Amino acid sequence: MNTLLNKLLKPFGSIGLSCILLLFLSLLTWLGTLEQVHMGLFDVQKKYFESLFLVHWAGPIPVPLPGAYLVMCLLFANLFVGGVVRLRRKQANMGILVTHFGILFLLIAGFITLFFSQNGHVTLYEGEESDFYQSYYRSEIILHQDLGDEGVRQITVPEEQFLASEGATLRSDVLPFDIVVDEAMRNARPRQKGPMFTVDVPVVDGAFLQQLPPDESAERNRAALYVSLVNKVDGTRQQGILSTRSRAPWVVDVNGERWAIDLRKERYRLPFSIKLEDFTKDDHPGMGMARSFFSDVTVTEEGAPRQQTISMNEPLRDEGLVIYQTSWGPANARPGDRLFSTMEVVRNPADQYPLYACIIIAAGLVLHFSNRLTRYVRAEGKAA
Amino acid sequence: MTLLRWTTLAVMTTALLATLTTPAQATPWQQAPGADAEVEQADDAHDGHSDHSQHMDPPPFRVGPWSEADIANAESLPIQDGGRVKPLHTFASFTLLRYSGKRSVETAAGEKLSPVEWLLDTMFFADRSRDYPVFLVSNLKVLEAMGLDTEGLKPRDRYSFNTLAIDDQGTGINKLFELAREFGMIDPKQRTLVQDQLYSLAGSIDDYNYRLAGSALMLALVPPDTTDPAVDEWTTGNALFGLGMEGKELPAEHDQALRSIIGLSRSAGVADEFSAHLSTLNHTTVALAKARGEYESTELELGYYKAGWIAKSKILFLLGFLVTAILWLRPRNMIAYRLGWVLVAAATAALITAIVYRCVIRGRPPISTLYESVIFVTAFGATVGLVMEWINRQRIGLSAAAIVGVIGVYIASGYEILDKQDTMPSLVAVLDTNFWLATHVTCIAIGYSAGLLSALLGSIYLLGKITGRKKDDPTFYRNLTRMTYGVLAFSVIFSIVGTILGGIWANESWGRFWGWDPKENGALLIVLSQVLILHGRMGGYLREFGINIAAAFSGTVIAFSWWGVNLLGVGLHSYGFTSGISQALWSYYGFQWLLCAAGLYVLMREKRLKAAS
Repeated sequence: MNTLLNKLLKPFGSIGLSCILLLFLSLLTWLGTLEQVHMGLFDVQKKYFESLFLVHWAGPIPVPLPGAYLVMCLLFANLFVGGVVRLRRKQANMGILVTHFGILFLLIAGFITLFFSQNGHVTLYEGEESDFYQSYYRSEIILHQDLGDEGVRQITVPEEQFLASEGATLRSDVLPFDIVVDEAMRNARPRQKGPMFTVDVPVVDGAFLQQLPPDESAERNRAALYVSLVNKVDGTRQQGILSTRSRAPWVVDVNGERWAIDLRKERYRLPFSIKLEDFTKDDHPGMGMARSFFSDVTVTEEGAPRQQTISMNEPLRDEGLVIYQTSWGPANARPGDRLFSTMEVVRNPADQYPLYACIIIAAGLVLHFSNRLTRYVRAEGKAA
Repeated sequence: MTLLRWTTLAVMTTALLATLTTPAQATPWQQAPGADAEVEQADDAHDGHSDHSQHMDPPPFRVGPWSEADIANAESLPIQDGGRVKPLHTFASFTLLRYSGKRSVETAAGEKLSPVEWLLDTMFFADRSRDYPVFLVSNLKVLEAMGLDTEGLKPRDRYSFNTLAIDDQGTGINKLFELAREFGMIDPKQRTLVQDQLYSLAGSIDDYNYRLAGSALMLALVPPDTTDPAVDEWTTGNALFGLGMEGKELPAEHDQALRSIIGLSRSAGVADEFSAHLSTLNHTTVALAKARGEYESTELELGYYKAGWIAKSKILFLLGFLVTAILWLRPRNMIAYRLGWVLVAAATAALITAIVYRCVIRGRPPISTLYESVIFVTAFGATVGLVMEWINRQRIGLSAAAIVGVIGVYIASGYEILDKQDTMPSLVAVLDTNFWLATHVTCIAIGYSAGLLSALLGSIYLLGKITGRKKDDPTFYRNLTRMTYGVLAFSVIFSIVGTILGGIWANESWGRFWGWDPKENGALLIVLSQVLILHGRMGGYLREFGINIAAAFSGTVIAFSWWGVNLLGVGLHSYGFTSGISQALWSYYGFQWLLCAAGLYVLMREKRLKAAS
């Protein structure tokens, strides 16, 4: 049984496979680095580092390659089998074993982050308060119905259901209409149609969507949609434009119900509210370069407010969320102007795992190589 | 308004009118007598008496060299520039370096001026200074674009302000500024080389002509008159003068400093009076800076630059390298061996002293800039080389230390000249953390250093094999390989730990451990290449020859990570961008790859011969 298991595990745990995988990971890292000159980081990450397979274009020649995600999964299996399960248990290997454990732990942290972390930002002007943060990249359709004294009904549609699926029909029992996605654009700007030019896209209420090339910084892409609402009772259609750049939602009356429909960056609720009391940019004397910038905020949790300062290198950690100082604006603000602060919000169950992994790996490496060094120095001493 | 304030104002007005002539115009003592007389009358009308110095008729040009006392007083003046307080010596030195690409000026008369002497001439004998060849032009197309005749000119030369100014017929600096305004609208990454050079030259000339030439009024030489650290912006003579004009009463020290600054311009050429003003300005501003606790590091910095630790280290490394080269031919020559030891150890000590000085001056860990990373990597590499030599006494570690030292200090000097910026700059907000600079950055630099030393040892192995040296001494090559591998293993520890620490820092600052940013990827590439070598050896894929080829190749991976990714111009680590180093970098890549290819050829040949026999 043992032999059979060994035979099965051997190819997965071979050092030859380790070398091949490390070579592939090096190649992908190198290509993914160079590609960032031409492609945005977000797209490079998706193509090279979060994929199973990809095609890299070396000039006009297509080169099929495994994606770094696949390579790292295989490396994990290889390391677990060859570097832990099948590693000979002897004193000289203890350091290597500990190091391998640390690297496995680091890879686990990476996988948890990839699948379970969520990030976005909360951007506030001084004096503003928010109890949600929003995604940098993802969009959502949000529908509101005014129910009078009963409040507001809210329905959200995640972007998987509309952005990559033109022609899709979005249905809900509570809606008096179906939503048909006529055309979806990852980056577009709504414009007024003037009499002096023609466009090859639909013009709705004098406006049309001007498609823009994808921005290298994916967070700058602003999605927009042409949608049609199909009345469930009489089948009549109304076409409209939804855009994350719009300042107001599209308001429609269908069968006596009033609905407001909007497209916006996906939002996530915070377990507390955060109010920006003051933002400070402290410049080096005599120049415009900031030596530090920080946000004084009030965090209100279950009615209890408390003061916090969030600065570069000193985030706020609360309720499994980490809030970081990211940027500020407006860039052209003059002294005395009202400023806004952008804080990144991250929910990552593996937040501190890399630190633990680092300690384990460092301990393993020091143990292993100090053993080797001692042996080397002794051997040299004898030789001398 | 008190009589004192009226007097002050009147003196200031007169002096400023006299000194703040338009830059291209003549200095006070060249004005028409009538103009002077008018100023004096205005002065007399205010305070009822004339200042003695107004009756002086200082010579338009400096007579004789600057006195040692004047130079000492000038170079130790504290100045706030680039967000920090530094000695005027440093300011002059880097300003001249930025304009001229070197730290001295040779006048047409053959006089060689130090940066401080040049700055004093520029501020107080501007007409003379405008004839000094200080503006480096590295491309004749720059001059052609300015409309100047380039017939018979060298492709790379230094020109004086007056040479470039020519006249206002559409040629010279008017055209230069017109072009600079146009090119300023272009994204720096999109500018052509000539556009970039024109823009840079315009910046230098603008800075020279409108900030420095003619007086010291535009320099932030006066500390605040409070010890409150929240008030941290120093002021210029010009700003103080403005306050006086608004009727605000200046604190006594500021009043004194302003009088001295103005007095300097008025008394230039009158040696005793000028020296007295300079000495008073020095004492006043130094006392203010000391009261604020801002002068200790300035004094230390002056001592650091004047001692020239890195220049000393360069000479010692060079001598050490020459002496160790003798050992390659005569390994048993004990005189050369001991002398080599002394020279390389002394050079390393000088470099470590420089690093310690810089740490104390900046109150920072050893590395916070690319320049500092070079001197740290060099010092660490040389130290490891010496430790290796101490352990096995095979002359290899000593030679490697000397080679690392020579190359490192030359790169440091070259980078300083190329970058032309203060090597102790103010840091961007994300770098304002001594903990992460001390841990992540230091670990990574140790990884670079040991990795490059390992690449050097691998390259020595390959060179030996390619040239057929010590053909009959397999022990030599075996020992060399053990060293290559040992140093590489040492590097792996720091590369891995440093890279993960960088991720943890990124998690603290930017909210993510890993973002596949070019600098992060560069660090990962080093780790992967080194781990690959360790596993290749363990799996039997790399033996003696293979380990050395791979180690030599991994040197290029480190160079790519350390310098190469900075050339890409993308990513969050924008504080580390570099330009103008691609030629040196490609030379290194080319040399190492050629060496690896030749090594591979020799390896194949050896295998064939073995198989045949």
